[in-house]
Amino acid sequence: MADQAEFEQDAMQYAPQLYSAALRMTRNPADAEDVVQETFLKAYRAYGTFTAGTNLKAWLYRILTNTYINKYRKQQRRPAEVELGELQDLYLYKRIGEISGAAQSAEHDMLDAFVDEDIIEALESLPENFRLPVLLADVDGFAYKEIADMLDIPIGTVMSRLHRGRKALQRKLWTVAEARGLTGTEQ
Amino acid sequence: MTTSCEHALEYVYAYLDEEISFFNQTRVSTHLKSCASCTSAFEFERRLKVLIRERGRTEPPPELFDALRALIQEERQGDGPIGRV
Repeated sequence: MADQAEFEQDAMQYAPQLYSAALRMTRNPADAEDVVQETFLKAYRAYGTFTAGTNLKAWLYRILTNTYINKYRKQQRRPAEVELGELQDLYLYKRIGEISGAAQSAEHDMLDAFVDEDIIEALESLPENFRLPVLLADVDGFAYKEIADMLDIPIGTVMSRLHRGRKALQRKLWTVAEARGLTGTEQ
Repeated sequence: MTTSCEHALEYVYAYLDEEISFFNQTRVSTHLKSCASCTSAFEFERRLKVLIRERGRTEPPPELFDALRALIQEERQGDGPIGRV
């Protein structure tokens, strides 16, 4: 049992991460603040049920994810139906390899050229059912099992959505790189 | 591209996510030691993962912390923000 009086002190350190995750989910600062506030209120009320010493960050993220899904998924029509089409593995690596030919360092140089806005644009471009697993794994560093628990889906589904979501993210990064003239292939 | 390349690349994410069995991890590690092509691809994916983690975040507005503290304070005092949430 966790002590409710300690909640603020225990949980506030996670507010920046929770806000950032909420912003990537909602793609809107006002909605992100709403989701984080609702998450904190629910977490405060339920803090007595949290087992002290277990993973507080994962517990808060679970509440955040559920809050987001309950609040915003209803607004969408059949959100889980979105598919991404076929994409090759190592998409970005291979595309950069095609244009750079023998230049061994080109793949790594392009990674250095990406700025925060590029990464954020690519993350936010993903359909929700792929965006959440990618966010939770790649930005927040959760394990597959933790993500499965948060999203209430089987671990195999987490893995397949993560796999396809990452490929779609790479495809988007490629188009961002093209638009910024980083590929040398723009018109 | 050999069979062992295909096998290693099949596990690239499981390997980088540290969600791989000890057996497969050993097989992939052994392959990477002798394959510059796969090592380069794995290193690219690893760096991309780090990049997303480092650049994919946005700092909250400073007022958020005060808003959260106020919310908990109101709730603690028993006249919580009924209807707000």
